[in-house]
Parts: sequence; structure tokens; C-alpha cells
Amino acid sequence: MKALTAALLVLVAACGQGRVILNVDVLSFLAASDSVKSFSVLGGIPQTDSTVSRQFFLPPGFGKSSVDSVTATAAAALICTGGGGNVRFDVFFSKTQGSVFTGTPYLTASSGPLVAGDSVSLLPPTSVSLADTVFNTDTLWVGIRARIATNVGPNMTGRLRLQDLHLRIALQDKLF
Amino acid sequence: MRTGVVAVALALLVLAPLRPAHAQFSFDARRYGMGGVSLSRDGNARRFNPAYRALKTNSRTSGTPKFSIPIPIGLIKFFKDHPINQLGSDPMFDPKSTAFNPFALTNLIFNPPIFYEVKKSPTPTNNVEFTIGKNQLIMNLGGSRVLIPEQDFGIGSTSRLFDAGAGFGGFHFGVMGFLQYNVSFTLDSALRRALTDTVTGVRPGDTLSLLSNAVAQGGLAPTVGFAGRLTHGADPATDDGLYLGGAVHYYLGATYGRLTGPAQILVGNPIFGTTPAAGVNDTLRTSNKANGRGVGGDVGLVWVSGPFEVGLGVNDIGAELTWSDTKLQHVTYNTATGNLVTTLDTNHVETKTKLPLTYMANAALRMGTGTTVGGDVVNSGRGTIIHVGVEQRTGPFALRGGVSRDQRKRMQFGLGGGLRLGPIGLDVGFFTHSNSLSTQRAITMATAISIY
Repeated sequence: MKALTAALLVLVAACGQGRVILNVDVLSFLAASDSVKSFSVLGGIPQTDSTVSRQFFLPPGFGKSSVDSVTATAAAALICTGGGGNVRFDVFFSKTQGSVFTGTPYLTASSGPLVAGDSVSLLPPTSVSLADTVFNTDTLWVGIRARIATNVGPNMTGRLRLQDLHLRIALQDKLF
Repeated sequence: MRTGVVAVALALLVLAPLRPAHAQFSFDARRYGMGGVSLSRDGNARRFNPAYRALKTNSRTSGTPKFSIPIPIGLIKFFKDHPINQLGSDPMFDPKSTAFNPFALTNLIFNPPIFYEVKKSPTPTNNVEFTIGKNQLIMNLGGSRVLIPEQDFGIGSTSRLFDAGAGFGGFHFGVMGFLQYNVSFTLDSALRRALTDTVTGVRPGDTLSLLSNAVAQGGLAPTVGFAGRLTHGADPATDDGLYLGGAVHYYLGATYGRLTGPAQILVGNPIFGTTPAAGVNDTLRTSNKANGRGVGGDVGLVWVSGPFEVGLGVNDIGAELTWSDTKLQHVTYNTATGNLVTTLDTNHVETKTKLPLTYMANAALRMGTGTTVGGDVVNSGRGTIIHVGVEQRTGPFALRGGVSRDQRKRMQFGLGGGLRLGPIGLDVGFFTHSNSLSTQRAITMATAISIY
């Protein structure tokens, strides 16, 4: 089904000996409801997760290419409207939905202690992974996780808004 | 796959000498030094202009060798850089190699390394960037973007593979082999925008089409021709006069095929909502038997007056072949299986094809001071090529120069020299060319030994 598309894109990418670089706006593949998550967690809970995972597409035809490097960047905003606690923001990538949230997150940032009325930006350090075979595919899964720990007391309520999520994948393309 | 690629590349290298013949070039270093023009009545003139059969090849064309033997310096260097016993793993032929560059391989095929490349045309090596969002696809090909053709592109030629025969009294009887092919592709505006526009790129719902039109036909043609001198100059012993030639061919087509139609990519809306689908809806006509029949002819005129000579030859006039048994098939793309599917539409139907008109006009002026100036305009089926050149002979030395406009309408330049010692001469010619997949000219040095 996608042979011609793949052939065109790979031939286009073969315009020279250089690399193929895919700049992927992962956020655009998420629905509005995926990128803004409200939460309400009872006080005194040591750990609970709020997650969302979605599939997104890369141009076909690069399956046999070798991945030189993958750079991931993200930004999120967190508002605490009630109670208090900590929120850790994690981003995962996987070839299959079942394994999205296993392993080490590609991006992670912690809010630190929050109380009602706090608003923080979550800016995980840019991650760079080399020769990562996860990205050797046409379709990928992205997982967003908010890992919440609440203080004893009233429910912790708030809203996490994903503002940016980009991948830069550098491939050494193979024609055959 | 790698073996196949190597085999194809090597086969093309072997066949590569045919290409200069198509481009009306030869292995004659003198000709390269004059921008591609031939100042002699060689086979190229006779191929296009039957009137030249009435003229002696070397008469009054001093300095014209009987034949030239190319010195393939380029091959020596090529096989030094690419040992023949390691071609299978050579990065140039190995698509799996990280150093493999398809443009470099294409350039090699387009410019077979017979002669020495003084300056190679650089091959694009830049990165290619894709900007991808759910509803966004922008391709930035960098410096390679200039290679995206704005008009149709492809290859094509009408060739006479051989022309054997004999004659008497101005008449010529023989048989020639003919081959005509033309493969052209056109990018529609959406595909061209997708490949060149780094702001908008692909639009949701676009249909990106590559339109193809490929035709090939070949066979034999028994030929009857006549060439004679219509008028004499003041001195009948000279070549002065008007010459007329003509030939009638009865074409016996052996095989024919034509493929037309688009190959398409159907972009989704949003663009990456689903994987883009592909589509092919082509028409394929092929001959069932070697049954093409047709009649056509060549005419030519040559006028010689002292040092001046001008000629015009036109080939395949009215050459239309009727193929009495052909079939029409549709070629489509099965999106479920990913295979091309051919379905028969009509069979045992008649199809008519034409051979394109080809021509050559040439002129030469021998000034008597060792200086010869000449030029020609050649169309062998796909675009016009113009050559203009000059040769200055002083004693055993010769100095040559010339310019040409190639099929891509680019100016090219030639410069050369020669040394003749009795029956043997050594000639060197430098020439530029833009046959490569590059925006810059390359310079090649041709070397040959001439036998007088």
C-alpha cells in the first residue's frame, strides 16, 4: 500500500550522501483532550499515575535505515488549584502500545512541592539517544505520564498542559 | 539486490559507449577539442545526410585521419580507484554502504570513465530534512532542490544500430537496424511544490503525480538509396558542386511498447491521519508479434564551393509504422497486496506509431591557411544540439577550440591540440559537460591516437 510513497520519500532522501532528518511535531498528533489533563487525587496518596498514549506516524520507507541519533524536547505547564503534593512529568516512546510505559522515560521533569495556587513550567532536559532502534519504524507510540504524590490533607487538584513535544531523528538512510 | 545493482551498473558501463554515439559524439579527441563539431565527412554526416554518399570521405579535408584510437586514461584511473575484484563490495555500487551515493553512481553511468575527468561535477551530499506534523509535511532537500526538474525530463534517441549494404552507380541497397526510445517524466505542480516548497510543502488531500510517457520500438529496415552529383564546379576534378541524396526505408518493426499514465500518492486529510495511499493507473500497449510495417525516407543536400561546404539531411520523413497485432492493458496498483496488476483491455488490435523526424545541418569553411571553421545543428530525437568549432594547423601542430549548446540548452566549451608525426598523431581535447546530476560543469580530457 505504501510502497510507492516509501519509494518516493526514500529517493528524495537519497538526494545526496547526507543524513535524513525528521523533525516531528509529536504534539500535533495528540487530541486536545490528550494534551490537557485535569486531575484530582486524594490527599496522602504516595503515588498515582495519570497517563495517555497515542500512535503517530513517520514517513514510510525508512524502516531499514539506521538511526544515528534522536533528540527529544518537551515543555509543559502545571497548575495546582487545590491541596498540595508533587508531580513528575514523563514522556515515553515505544514501537508498541503495550510497552509504552515500561522502561526509562525519554524525558522527565519534576514540579517540586506544590500548594494550591502554584503554577510551574516543566522543562525536561533535552534527551539525546544514539542508535535507538525504537525509532526504526513507520509508526510509533508516545506516552505521557503524570506521576502524582499528594500531601496529607485535602485532594490535590490541578491541570497539566502539554505545550511542546518534538523529536529530531537523524537517520542514515538505506535505499535497499 | 546488491549483486543486481552492480550487474546493472556494469552493464551500463559496458553499453556506455553507445551513449556518445547517441549524442553524436565519438572517441575522437579532435572532435572533443572543438566542442563536439566534426569537420570531416565522417559516419555521422553520412548517417544523417545521404547526399554524403556521393562525396569522398577524405577528399580535400587535409588533416582528417583514417581513424582514431582512444586512449582510455579514465578507465585506468577508475579501475585503480575501484579494483575490479572488489566491485561487489565497492561503496560506489553497494547501496548498503553508508558511503553509497546514488547520484555518484548515476553520474558514473551518465559519464562513463573512458576519458580522464579533470574536474568532476560535485554530487550533492547535503542533509535532507522532513518537518512532520499530523497535518504538515515539508521536505527540505537543501542544495539538492535545484535538481528537481521544472519541465519534463528523461532520455530518448533515434539510433541506427547498423547500416550495411552495397551499391553501384550512385545507388545503395542495404538494411539498417533502427531503435527509437523516449522515456519522459513530468512532475505535476503538487509534487513539484512538495519537493521544492519549504514553507507550505504537502497540502492535506493533495494528489502528487509523476506522469510517465515511455515508448520504445525497433526493428530492421531494408533500404534503397541514391546519391549523386547534380552540378559541377568550374573544375570537375574538384568536389565543387551540388549533391543530392535520398533513401527509402521499408520498416519491419520487431517490437513495440508504450506505457503512459501517472504514478500517484494520495495524501490524506489530515496528512498523517493515515499512511498515504499510492495509486497507479497506466496504459500499456505492446506488440504481440514482430509485425510493424511502414515506409519512410531520408533526404539530403550538400553544396561544396571551394573551401565552403554546407549540408542538410533529414531522416525518417513520414515514417509511420502500423502494428497489426497489439494489445492494450491497464496497469493498476493493488493497495491490498502492494503489487502492480495488469489487466487486458483489448487484444489483437491495430496501432500506429511514428518515428520522430531527425536532422543535421552542417557547414565547414577551410580557409587555406590551415584554419578550418565549422558547425552543426543536430536533433537525434530529443532536443537540438549545436556545435561550433575551429581548428588551426601549423606544421605538425594543431590547435582547436569550440563551443556547443547541449540538449539541456547549456553552453559547453572545448579546447584541444594535436601533434602529427607522419602517419601517426596524438590528440588531446578538453571539454565541459553537464550530463551529470549536478548544476556545475565537469571537465573531461580526451586523448586519442590518430592514424593518417
